[in-house]
Amino acid sequence: MAMVFNHLLDLDLSHYSTTTTESTTTGDDDHYCNLGDWSPVVDWDALSVHPQENFNGLLEFEPNEDDNDHHMNLDSPTTLMVEPPVSPFSDDVKGLRLVHLLMAAAEAMATDNKSYDLAAVILVRLKDLVSPNEGTNMERLAAHFTDALLSLLETSARGVVGGLHYKQNHHLHHPTDVLAAFQLLQDMSPYVKFGHFTANQAIIEAVVHERRVHIIDYDIMEGIQWASLMQALISQKDGAPPPYLRITALSRPGSGRKSISTVQETGRLLTSFAASINLPFSFHQCKLDSNETFKPSSVKLVRGEAIIINCMLHLPHFTHRPPTSISSFLAGARALNPKLVTVVEEEEQKVEGGFVGRFMDTLHHYSAVYDSLEAGFPMQGRARTLVERVFMGPRIVGSLARVYREEGEGGSWGAWLTAEPGFQPVNISFANHCQAKLLLGLFNDGYRVEESASNKLVLGWKSRQLLSASIWTCLETN
Amino acid sequence: MTSVDSLYNNTLFIFFTQKSSMERTHLSPYTNHPQTTTKQPISHTYSDPGGGEAGPDNDKWASKLLLECAQSISYKDYGKINHLLWMLNELSSPYGDCDQKLAYYFLQALFCKATESGNRCYKSLISVADKSHCFDSARKLILKFQEVSPWTTFGHVASNGAILEAFDGENKLHIIDISNTLCTQWPTLLEALATRSDDTPSLKLTVVVTSTMARSIMKEITQRMEKFARLMGVPFEFNLINGSNKRLWQLTKEELNVQEGEAIAVNCIGALRRVEVEDRGDVIRLFSSLNPRIVTVVEEEADFTSSRFDFVKCFEECLRYYTLYFEMLEESFTPTSNERLMLERECSRGIVRVLTCDDEQNIDSGDCERREKGNQWCERLKEHFSLVGFSDDVVDDVKALLKRYRTGWSLAHDRTNSNEDSGMMLAWKDEPVVWASAWKP
Repeated sequence: MAMVFNHLLDLDLSHYSTTTTESTTTGDDDHYCNLGDWSPVVDWDALSVHPQENFNGLLEFEPNEDDNDHHMNLDSPTTLMVEPPVSPFSDDVKGLRLVHLLMAAAEAMATDNKSYDLAAVILVRLKDLVSPNEGTNMERLAAHFTDALLSLLETSARGVVGGLHYKQNHHLHHPTDVLAAFQLLQDMSPYVKFGHFTANQAIIEAVVHERRVHIIDYDIMEGIQWASLMQALISQKDGAPPPYLRITALSRPGSGRKSISTVQETGRLLTSFAASINLPFSFHQCKLDSNETFKPSSVKLVRGEAIIINCMLHLPHFTHRPPTSISSFLAGARALNPKLVTVVEEEEQKVEGGFVGRFMDTLHHYSAVYDSLEAGFPMQGRARTLVERVFMGPRIVGSLARVYREEGEGGSWGAWLTAEPGFQPVNISFANHCQAKLLLGLFNDGYRVEESASNKLVLGWKSRQLLSASIWTCLETN
Repeated sequence: MTSVDSLYNNTLFIFFTQKSSMERTHLSPYTNHPQTTTKQPISHTYSDPGGGEAGPDNDKWASKLLLECAQSISYKDYGKINHLLWMLNELSSPYGDCDQKLAYYFLQALFCKATESGNRCYKSLISVADKSHCFDSARKLILKFQEVSPWTTFGHVASNGAILEAFDGENKLHIIDISNTLCTQWPTLLEALATRSDDTPSLKLTVVVTSTMARSIMKEITQRMEKFARLMGVPFEFNLINGSNKRLWQLTKEELNVQEGEAIAVNCIGALRRVEVEDRGDVIRLFSSLNPRIVTVVEEEADFTSSRFDFVKCFEECLRYYTLYFEMLEESFTPTSNERLMLERECSRGIVRVLTCDDEQNIDSGDCERREKGNQWCERLKEHFSLVGFSDDVVDDVKALLKRYRTGWSLAHDRTNSNEDSGMMLAWKDEPVVWASAWKP
């Protein structure tokens, strides 16, 4: 609670006149909007065109009554010297109201103050106000967050414990919808390509003199990343023959529904694609059990091959993988002595304030994503809505579930790798960085890329960091 | 267009959003608010994780928020006050479930308290009610309420029983009725008088109207009562006295038309609480001066008096009582009942008056509404009267009455005096709600 009311100044409610209060905006991002110009004083007159009516709406509930005779005269003009904003039905005001409701719901669910029935009531109210398919960015975002909180509430209130039992999203979208959404996501934003291209560029640079390359992919999905890598390997400049590429994809029991194709299907696609471009290629699967413990010994190795570990954790992957699975993979991978480890993940801020603080930060994160899509494609509302439904919605549910269970403590895998023995950072090359910039240039200029560490590129929208790609190695000498 | 991003870089502030007028016109008060259809299942699911454990976590959300707000008001924590008022405004509705309704009506009081506008609000509530009250709707309301709940009929049956027994053998009867029952109590009494084995006595009924709103309604009643008495064959005289212009205790025997040779009964249902606290002793002294055979007192069991200088305590008691009342109404009426809605609205005046009106100031309109519990009234009445126990016949009549209603009603033993009889207590789900007693000088 404290963090919201830091800036509310004392309101002398006992008298009707109050002195003007200075606005105490924190942010200095003035070029966005002038909400901060509004003095943070309660406007008892309500911010509407008909202040009288609205107060009577509160105090009297005879709908037929002629309100003007006996209304409350609370609107002494000396009350507040606030410049009233536009009508209360404007987007900003509604947006703010939704944010407040979401925050109130998050607070009601925060671990030290559980009031599940209050949270439920707030969420029901929110559901009345928003829809995932219509309205402004904020409204649609609020709809997804509301659904996410509701599913969280359902599991918590029924005492289901965390651990590996993430509430998997059974958003059984029609496969054509998923495909369409995936295509749109790629076309409308750099989120997918940024990760793939940065990783691929680093891989290409690392395997330039290698005859055999073996990539172990944590979550291959449709294998789009490898199609472009294969093409790059084929078209190496100095005319040398391409290396023999092997890809081992991790597969999980029963996960076929989550992506469009199963791992086998992906393998077949990649194999035929490689054949079509004359790239020597073979595909393997490494089946994980339900605990998702990675056993390095179960990967078939060939002498002389350079091992690449690829770990994509962000869009378009639907759900967050359990941290135990990821850590088991990365730690196990170390035993294979990989030449390169590429990790692409959502960038998280370290935030105070417990669940509520991290909830608000997650909200901020996704609102930046929504904004970025809208900025590039303001007219394509339905397309964006589809992408949001197929991809963002499930990720929001997963994000909040993690935040609620306080897993990962806001730490990134990059940080984990830094701390973990055996992993050294690998510098991002100048070429890689340039490529990223070029990629972003194809989209809206609100996107930024920066090197936040020598081995890490971060993609952001305006001031918000969203996605990071980092490169590592386990070899002693590189 | 401003970016959503910017919303977070600036100060968040709370403002008092009003429900949009769009929402209100879409709702007819007599259909279910769309929220209610989803609200019920969710609150049952989530407030009962293990199956009905009691404890702070399972308290209703509305009472938690309301109490927090009341406390914030007493600490003058303006930030919290704003936030809670905003939340209550968002979540409350007069058409929702009990929680939402309580939130709605108590929000009004909290708002008035925070802005110190209680007196004005109360006055406007009174004038609105005045304009919209009419005999037909009031009568329909009371009769419907009596049909579905013994809340009022309990007091009638108990009082009538005691009065009839006290009048046994008399034939010039004079009942001084200071109540809010709109005379719905008397037809059964008239019937009982008519069917008495000996000669039918004559009855003079003097009704003292204290509530400002009832005045217009009472004229209609005069005619009906006289007609009914004629039908019953009971010699009948009906007088209406306006007791609202002056303090009740200032009435004289002459004004009340008390004559020699009459057997007097004073019937006081839901009326003592409408007397200003300081005047209550004087009113009881007045009763005593009339030398009645019996005084029947029926009051709702709540204490808004001893805590009247402590806002939070008074608020807690108010909330407790009205929560019971609203829950009782919800279970007694059908979900789409107009009458229930009207009864709930009537509460808003009482709530605002008790919690936000400054008693010091002269409020000439309306009634005091500060209830006291049975044992408190006993203390007052003991100075001039002594308690008469209800006879077994009367108790049986009351029990038979309760059987006619839905389950949940019972007679509770008065907890304070288990040895001494101190009246009868109607209980709903084992909570005492209405207290009835009979006294003689």
